[in-house]
Amino acid sequence: MSAKGSILLVDDESIVCERLQAALEKAGFEVEAYTESQQAVDRLEQRVFDVVVTDVKMRGPDGLDILHLVQHRSPSTKVVIITGFATVDTAKEAMKSGAVDFIAKPFKISQLRDLVLKLVQAPK
Amino acid sequence: MSWWSDIVGRRKRADPREEIRGKLRLFRHLLEQNNQVLGLMASAEEKLGGEYIFDRQYLITLAAELGRSVHDAVLDLNAITDGRYLGLTDAVERVRMAVQAVLESRVVAPHSDPVIALDQLEDHPLEVGGEKMRRLAFPHHAADAPSFRVPPGFVISAGACQRLLRQSSIDQEVETLFEANEPATPEQLEMRSKALQRMVLRSRVPRSIARPIRKGVGRLTAQGWPRLAIRSSALGEDAEQSFAGQYETVLGVTSDDVLQAYKQVVASLYSPQVMRYRQERGFHPARGLMAVGCMGLVPARASGVAYSIDPSYPEHDTILVSAAWGLGKTVVEGIDPTDRYHLSRAAPYHATSQTIGHKQRLFTVASPTGVHQTEVPLAERDRPCLSQEELGQIAATLMFLERRMRCAQDMEWAIDAGGQLYLLQSRPLRLSASLSRAERDMSAVADRYPVLSRGRGAVACRGIGAGTVCFVDDATQPRLSRDAVLVARTSGPRLSGAIAGAAAVLTEVGTPTGHLATIAREYRVPTIVDMGGLADTMRDGDAVTVDAEENVVYRGIVHELLRYQLLRTTSFEDTVEYRLLRGLLKRVAPLSLNDPASSRFTPAHCVTYHDIIRFAHEKAVSYFADGSSFQRAARGRHVRRLRLGIPLDLVLVDVGGGCAVVDDRNVTLEQVGSMALRAVLCGLTAPGVWATEPTDMDLNGFISSATRSQVRPGMQVEQNVAIVTDAYLNLSLHLGYHFNVVDCYLSEQRNDNYIYFRFAGGVTEMTRRSRRVALLAQVLEAQDFAVELAGDLICGRIKKIARETMIVRLEMIGRLIGFSRQLDILLRDDSLIEYHVRQFLAQIDDATRGPGGAPAGRLELRTTHRQEREMSAEILVLDDEQIVCDRLKEYLEQREMEVETFTDSRLALERLAERGFDVVVTDLKMNGPTGLDVLRHVRQHNPDTRVIVITGYATIETAKEAEIVGAFDFICKPFQLQEMYTLIKKAAKKARRSS
Repeated sequence: MSAKGSILLVDDESIVCERLQAALEKAGFEVEAYTESQQAVDRLEQRVFDVVVTDVKMRGPDGLDILHLVQHRSPSTKVVIITGFATVDTAKEAMKSGAVDFIAKPFKISQLRDLVLKLVQAPK
Repeated sequence: MSWWSDIVGRRKRADPREEIRGKLRLFRHLLEQNNQVLGLMASAEEKLGGEYIFDRQYLITLAAELGRSVHDAVLDLNAITDGRYLGLTDAVERVRMAVQAVLESRVVAPHSDPVIALDQLEDHPLEVGGEKMRRLAFPHHAADAPSFRVPPGFVISAGACQRLLRQSSIDQEVETLFEANEPATPEQLEMRSKALQRMVLRSRVPRSIARPIRKGVGRLTAQGWPRLAIRSSALGEDAEQSFAGQYETVLGVTSDDVLQAYKQVVASLYSPQVMRYRQERGFHPARGLMAVGCMGLVPARASGVAYSIDPSYPEHDTILVSAAWGLGKTVVEGIDPTDRYHLSRAAPYHATSQTIGHKQRLFTVASPTGVHQTEVPLAERDRPCLSQEELGQIAATLMFLERRMRCAQDMEWAIDAGGQLYLLQSRPLRLSASLSRAERDMSAVADRYPVLSRGRGAVACRGIGAGTVCFVDDATQPRLSRDAVLVARTSGPRLSGAIAGAAAVLTEVGTPTGHLATIAREYRVPTIVDMGGLADTMRDGDAVTVDAEENVVYRGIVHELLRYQLLRTTSFEDTVEYRLLRGLLKRVAPLSLNDPASSRFTPAHCVTYHDIIRFAHEKAVSYFADGSSFQRAARGRHVRRLRLGIPLDLVLVDVGGGCAVVDDRNVTLEQVGSMALRAVLCGLTAPGVWATEPTDMDLNGFISSATRSQVRPGMQVEQNVAIVTDAYLNLSLHLGYHFNVVDCYLSEQRNDNYIYFRFAGGVTEMTRRSRRVALLAQVLEAQDFAVELAGDLICGRIKKIARETMIVRLEMIGRLIGFSRQLDILLRDDSLIEYHVRQFLAQIDDATRGPGGAPAGRLELRTTHRQEREMSAEILVLDDEQIVCDRLKEYLEQREMEVETFTDSRLALERLAERGFDVVVTDLKMNGPTGLDVLRHVRQHNPDTRVIVITGYATIETAKEAEIVGAFDFICKPFQLQEMYTLIKKAAKKARRSS
């Protein structure tokens, strides 16, 4: 059975990557996950994903860098920001830069999963 | 503390009114901190269910926010009480450091006996005996336990290890050696390892530990186990180490060398590979602790390992057993060829293939000590070690463990000369990425299996379970079949016993932070709570699969999901973050300060943040509630007297928003803004609840009550005080010798709401008081309260319920307080308790449930209990629900009314043409002629008849419409029978008067 869509996960906490990958794969997605944001950036050069889910504060390139990169290279890719440091300013900046949604940690897995499902179903 | 009052009161002393206002402001702030702490704790507990993703940052932030709120509350308390509780800041600091230790993963062993028998380990926290030993300590009275045994033995606790290291100053040496902050090089680790291990081996085992060890060994020898196996049982992150063989195991130990063997095993904490492993994972290399198991060494005829699924070929769906002669060393260390058997995973576990190894060496127990290698006799070398029957037993044991632990199992076993199977070790079998992406994709499952429920309720414990539905209620403890999916009406504590063996649990009410949820997580039983009514969705005996990760229940057994769970690589409960959260909550959430009257209710006895905030809250309330200078000063503005229709004087302390602004010393109930207080008093003053004379008293009871209570029934001895804001209520009622406290927060936010109810004391002697407490406990549990009992003191708690439910519960508590006031006298023996519980529950059921089935939100307040004269009147009831008609008919006829009921509006209209009625009660929505049609008809042909319409939605439109068409009034479903009756009476009076 073919995947519902492709997702790139970037978060420097391995627990976030592991659990989110498992949940999204269970829901039928193809998922690649990276705890090193530079590796994620390199991967983005090689492949276009349907959705990118990324944390903001990371070693190396941060979430907003990734957001801008995606905006530039593959504008059809939808970017979702997840972060433990959710401030009104970060949210505004992310949304202004073109993130499709902004979710504060901790969040319900089902919430993110449903969001991603909605995003891949929406017209590009 | 005059310097404190100087600081706080200096400028304010000039204006006592400002001081009062200031203290009330501080009290509100303290209440906010209290709510904040309770809310954070509850929200954190919810995260244990696994529905959320959280990381270390969340834990750090959580700890900081909790610390800050508790700290602020303590400051507030001291500002209010002029510095009376400065010792509380020490308690805050203590807990803060304990929380810090958890976040830094510094292992601290809990207090326990140094030596604990294996069969008693279950009652202790996990950190006492470590993971390995804990897994061997389970009850064997489970109905389906196959015939294996665990060798008898005991555990030398982690606490004992800690004491050993401390007393020999090894812990200090560790700190010295690792003083520098940066990671140690491999050479440094080698050197430090040697030094530390030498210290351990040379240390003296403290007598307080050595003595119980020797006693334990002595007992084992006497039981026929002269030789021992000494095994490590590490805590937390190191648990994996235990199994990876990185720690020492010593076999063939006798009583003479047990202490040395113990030290040998402990010393392996500091082996180079262990320290390197810990350092790589980001932990301090040498701050580990372990418990150590001493178990009888099985003189094995054959031993080996077994996996509940072949890790190399999981798709074959087979069990893999490896066996050799003698002790398991051969198999575990891969020393020699072994037998390999593949078995089916389904009973009777037939062998699908087997390879008999050419076994040459074996290990046996030797004299005087240790383990001895010999040659396998020629005749045995190619003979199978295991019979078909023994293979079957091993398989049955594996599947039993797998079901119980909910994951694939890896076990070490031995069989003695008599053919008895022993379980030596078991652990989760971690399979590496064994499922393909397609196999990890469960999204199509919903296409193949009917979904019975999706997203209802909340997940209390993750996991996937399947089995047959078995409805239970808290009154019965049924014999459960294996693989039962429990479906419970409530989630009260009584069900806890049934949970451990269930495949999954579903409850209709309850919360993910309640008692049942905690038990479910302890036994890792997939559980979903608060799902609402399930009787329409499933029946006893149905096969269902509960996916408590996605919160979906399917009809049928979904094998794909079960397999998915079996072969998954990681489990949420095993992650570091989960452990940290649990550890953190342990330091924060448990409440040990329960009874404010106890001598242990002091700052020094505060163990957790919860204790501290409880203490602060209680003391702040007391400051305002105890007849004090505060009350005298604040009288008339913030302190008033509440006049009720019963002989009960109540002092009302309005902290803000609790009362309509009235510059008067006395207020009536209608002027009270606090809905919570109104609800409780409504219940307390309901007809038949507040009896001014004891209803029925036997002579003994009378004498004892007459001699003890020096006051007339109904006259209060101490002050009754209600402290209110718009949302908060703290009500303390001293009724004769009964003391009640109701503390609650009632708001639109479900998550902030809670009720805490405390009841103590009684009129007659101790046995009757406890009987009454037993009754209260039953009633409270039936209403979903978490209940704690201690002698004649009872505490009930409920939280996170909707506003409407809160009001219903509070009214019930009001009734309970009034009702049980004189119940002591009545309760001659325990058998009457059941009767009174049923009586009482029927009363509240009647009063709080309308025919619609759900609790109603409106309350009828009574300020007097004058007997209302029953009125005779003729009523016609029209509703398409038969049950509404039946209940209303019953209720009204009991009150001398004449009632005819109809479910068909056409027939009702025919009847209306034949005779007149005083009142017609009709539902708006009907088939055929609607309620409005009936209403118009009546207005036209029987203008004296008053019509009451029943509607589902109280909207402005409905009200307008009803007015226009001429209804007397309208009432919403669900409605209280009491309310309907009152309305009918009013209407009937009007009807009679005008005719």
